[in-house]
Amino acid sequence: MRLHTRRIFNLCYRFTSHRQEAEDLSQEVFLRVYRTLGSYRSTYGAFGTWVTSVTRNLLIDHYRRTRRDRLTDSMEDVMAKVEDKESSTRRPDHSAAVAELGGHLQKALAKLSPDLREAVILRDLEGLDYNEIQRVLEVPEGTVKSRINRGRIELARILDQMGVRPN
Amino acid sequence: MNWDCEQIEERLSDYLDGALPPKEAAQFKAHADGCARCTQLVASVRGLVGALRAMEPEAAPLRLVPTILDKTIGPRTQPFGWRAWLGWTRILWQPRFAFGALTILITGAVLSQALGIEWHTPTVADLNPVHIYRSADQGIHRIYARGAKFFGDLRVVYEIESRLNPAPDQEPEQQKPAPAPPSGPGRTEGPSSGPNNLNRAETSTRYITRFACIVLTAPGRRMP
Repeated sequence: MRLHTRRIFNLCYRFTSHRQEAEDLSQEVFLRVYRTLGSYRSTYGAFGTWVTSVTRNLLIDHYRRTRRDRLTDSMEDVMAKVEDKESSTRRPDHSAAVAELGGHLQKALAKLSPDLREAVILRDLEGLDYNEIQRVLEVPEGTVKSRINRGRIELARILDQMGVRPN
Repeated sequence: MNWDCEQIEERLSDYLDGALPPKEAAQFKAHADGCARCTQLVASVRGLVGALRAMEPEAAPLRLVPTILDKTIGPRTQPFGWRAWLGWTRILWQPRFAFGALTILITGAVLSQALGIEWHTPTVADLNPVHIYRSADQGIHRIYARGAKFFGDLRVVYEIESRLNPAPDQEPEQQKPAPAPPSGPGRTEGPSSGPNNLNRAETSTRYITRFACIVLTAPGRRMP
């Protein structure tokens, strides 16, 4: 239970970039899992993959629901960038640099389109293999590979534009 | 065939994941090494993938699990006061605990009986290992002696009975060997329901009756 909670919370957090939203969504995921547990069959794959699939559907629903709100937040993002630039000059040590890189990556992920974002999160952050991602996203393997590839390249370009170069 | 930049972009993840066949990987590398744009792209995506995989997982809030449990299986009621203090006694009402306690009690009774511990007049000396050893030794010897006497008695009774009433199959007129049954295909030499077998059955019944009489008249038992 705790293992799944942590994984699902991370998935939600990487997708939404907001802790409170991720917490609310994690609760919704487990409520949905609890209510639809009877519909789970082993033919769907591993239980973890099924839970990930439920999470993904919920995240997409949430993304569509909050699209309008995000447009109004664009100004706040600009302000946050300025604050980040200021704060980056105040953190010289290594752990702070790692945390800073994590923050940049999270921001870059948030700028990625949802299709590419979820593919990259599932592959590179959650460590799922192509078959599992194919089951979660319900798209052919070729599409999964293509989305992961395009997502990585796009993310690298976004980071380049932000002046961040991970080694 | 030489690859172009577009092909490099398309197969970049396959190359980084090591999923390209050796020949294609060599062609990929040949182009990427000679093209400044592709070299930079490969380096930046490789760095990105490494950074993504090295990212520390975000710690979930501590209240998340209790909140989820409350919303799914319902809020848990915490007992308080004397109910909380006596909460551990609920285990005593479980059938498995009762069965376990009964089993331990019976095992203790059997062991104490075998070791000669007299619990009706318990003394400290009963728990002395020397005393326990002697009691056990005496008990084992007593059981052995009773068993030996029982079988000795059984043998004597059997011999007397045999001399007084010889078994019908040992009588002189029946000691002649019976004619061998015809053997052949489909015939067996198994038991048959002839007169000899009937006599054996009667003999066995007599032995069982004698055995029962001996058991019932054994020391410590009274005939009804």
